[in-house]
Amino acid sequence: MNQKMNDDVVLRVDDLSIVYRTKRGNVQATTDISFDLKRGEAMALIGESGSGKTTVSLSLIRKLPKNALVTKGQVLYQREGNVRDVLKLSKRQLREFRWKDCAMVFQGSQNAFNPVLKIRKQFEDTARAHGWTDKEAVRQRALELLRLVRLDPERVYEAYPHELSGGMKQRTLLALGVLLNPQVVILDEPTTALDILTQRAIIDVLNDMQKKLNFSIIFISHDLSLAAEMADIVATVYAGEIVEIGPVNDIFYDPQHPYTHGLLTSVPKLDHEQDLLTSIKGAPPNLITPPSGCKFHPRCPYVTEKCSVDGPPLAGDKPEHLAACWHKDALLKAREELAQEVAQ
Amino acid sequence: MISETPDVIAATGQASMVDRLYDSVMNIYRNHTFRVTIQAIITVWAVITFTFFLIRLMPGNPIDVLVEQIMVAEGIPYQDAYDRVAASFDFDPDASAIDQYFDWFSDVLRLDLGTSITSPGTRVVDEIARFLPWTLFAVGTGLLVSFVLGIVLGMMMAYYRNSPLDHILSLFASFMTGIPNYIWGLLIVIVLGIQFNLFNVGALRGTYDVSTTPGFNLPFIKSAFEHAFLPIVTYVVSTLGGWMLNMKSSTMSVLNDDYVNVAEARGLKDSRIITAYVGRNAALPLFTQLTISIGFVLGSGVVIEEIFVYWGLGHYLFASITTRDYTSMQGVFVILVITVVFANLIADLTYGFLDPRVRVSGQK
Ligand SMILES: Nc1ncnc2c1ncn2[C@@H]1O[C@H](COP(=O)(O)OP(=O)(O)OP(=O)(O)O)[C@@H](O)[C@H]1O
Ligand SMILES: [Mg+2]
Repeated sequence: MNQKMNDDVVLRVDDLSIVYRTKRGNVQATTDISFDLKRGEAMALIGESGSGKTTVSLSLIRKLPKNALVTKGQVLYQREGNVRDVLKLSKRQLREFRWKDCAMVFQGSQNAFNPVLKIRKQFEDTARAHGWTDKEAVRQRALELLRLVRLDPERVYEAYPHELSGGMKQRTLLALGVLLNPQVVILDEPTTALDILTQRAIIDVLNDMQKKLNFSIIFISHDLSLAAEMADIVATVYAGEIVEIGPVNDIFYDPQHPYTHGLLTSVPKLDHEQDLLTSIKGAPPNLITPPSGCKFHPRCPYVTEKCSVDGPPLAGDKPEHLAACWHKDALLKAREELAQEVAQ
Repeated sequence: MISETPDVIAATGQASMVDRLYDSVMNIYRNHTFRVTIQAIITVWAVITFTFFLIRLMPGNPIDVLVEQIMVAEGIPYQDAYDRVAASFDFDPDASAIDQYFDWFSDVLRLDLGTSITSPGTRVVDEIARFLPWTLFAVGTGLLVSFVLGIVLGMMMAYYRNSPLDHILSLFASFMTGIPNYIWGLLIVIVLGIQFNLFNVGALRGTYDVSTTPGFNLPFIKSAFEHAFLPIVTYVVSTLGGWMLNMKSSTMSVLNDDYVNVAEARGLKDSRIITAYVGRNAALPLFTQLTISIGFVLGSGVVIEEIFVYWGLGHYLFASITTRDYTSMQGVFVILVITVVFANLIADLTYGFLDPRVRVSGQK
């Protein structure tokens, strides 16, 4: 059943569809999401609020809310030649898988630490849950990681969570995230609650850690410039679908989907959200009754009749850069005209 | 390397700074302890003073009560009965209450609670020492059992919320809290003692079987538990529902906290999450309520002990009230007030060990 996975692929998401069952109906939060993540690679998921980024990331460690249902697809992790579908793990296997194979820094997790236990205890708890009982070894490793995230290791290790600032907690969580040498670390807007300087520091720390420890990253952000700095691969998510995916430079200099283009031209100013709305007309669709055909068609400047009937496939001339649009040519022309305007 | 962030700079302050900080924190800590201790002492004083005068406002005095009994029993005239009683009592009904108060209070300061009025020569301290341990034993055991049980059941209700188990336990808990404890006592006597004849309440009078020798031996301990059993059950059923409902709502809110979610993502075992992550945090607010509960249960013990003929402090107090034995009553109130106030004090001073967040800020 598993297609052949290249050795360097650590995570393959295959045709993943998730609905939330609510009183008002089923929310089609993600539809047919597929991508490969390679070893040591960082992938950014970008998209508006409500586009389904968090839903995708939670499903990767099978931590979706109770009302969520995976209707289709696989989440395959490959480690040392073994391929496992997370959605099929037993309860026990799942517990052992979590954090050891894939660690996650949740969106807005300023309270990620148990307030009544010292940081040391929480490192030890994590290690012990995965069969690592040598406290001294844990300590050595933890101090090393805390140093890596540029904290005063001895002090932080013996501190209670409330004695740390928000940025310090976030960095401590990053250190805890890589304690067990996971292959994949998911970061869901890890910097949103922090000031610009601390954001910078965290991104630097992340880049640094990734170089030294060679894990793969899934990085979720509204902030395109942060994504550009972090990511090797960028995937644009719209209404629960990946509408474009490709190497970071291709995405930024040669966007093939009108939505990606719209995101890029709405250069982030102070109020990012509002800016987005002006450059891409309209609002994100209701996911209980999503639009027919291409879900972006009600907002798309290049829309034709075909768009509302048929959803375009994710395709491209280059195998690594794919976009789901019928009118890439029209977009290309528009971009060239825009470039000429700017040049004049 | 990139330049140090402010966090690092702040953390590597000079050692002397840290020392000084430590000293001043310790000072504040001492002050806090000092202050709450003073507050506790003032509370004790105010309450015992208030009760001293309240007691004297009760209709009748020790002499009148006994005189009346003797007149009825022996059919002798008032004056004869009065002379006899007054001669044997160490009490002058005509002395002013203020004078009595100062006499009594200066004794209390010397840790002397005086002698009984109705049986002169019996020191109140000795009587209290005889009865108090039994009350503390029954109330303490009852509260402990109820608290632990309430925490466990409350967590179960939260974990299985909206299941039949939760619905049944919720109903049960509301029912238990809705009924006052003395009604529970009576119900237990009537249902278990009389209807089903499971316990012979009459035979279980007192606090242990006098044929056993007090000490650390099985027959004595067994009989002590047998005698305390029904009062303990009463304390448990009358307080359990409250703990359950409180723990349920507290647990439900902790279950929504990020750190529980993150703990699951960290792959921690359920047993560890339930105890150290959910249980410990959810139980924190209940510890504060426990101290309030101590006073409440001790106070209600008077009636409960009387219902079960359990010879604890409540029973002693009840007897003293009947004979208007002022000094004995006062002695009991002093001890009850001190117990409650200092239980609260200890809880206040030790709460920081349970919740690190108040360890420094709470002391200011
Ligand atoms: N527990 C839930 N029950 C019902 N619907 C949900 C639930 N969680 C999310 N949704 C819906 O699923 C869709 C995707 O939500 P998701 O949280 O994945 O978005 P997101 O891209 O992470 O947004 P943001 O950038 O604001 O974090 C949204 O329409 C949201 O309303
Ligand atoms: Mg999100």
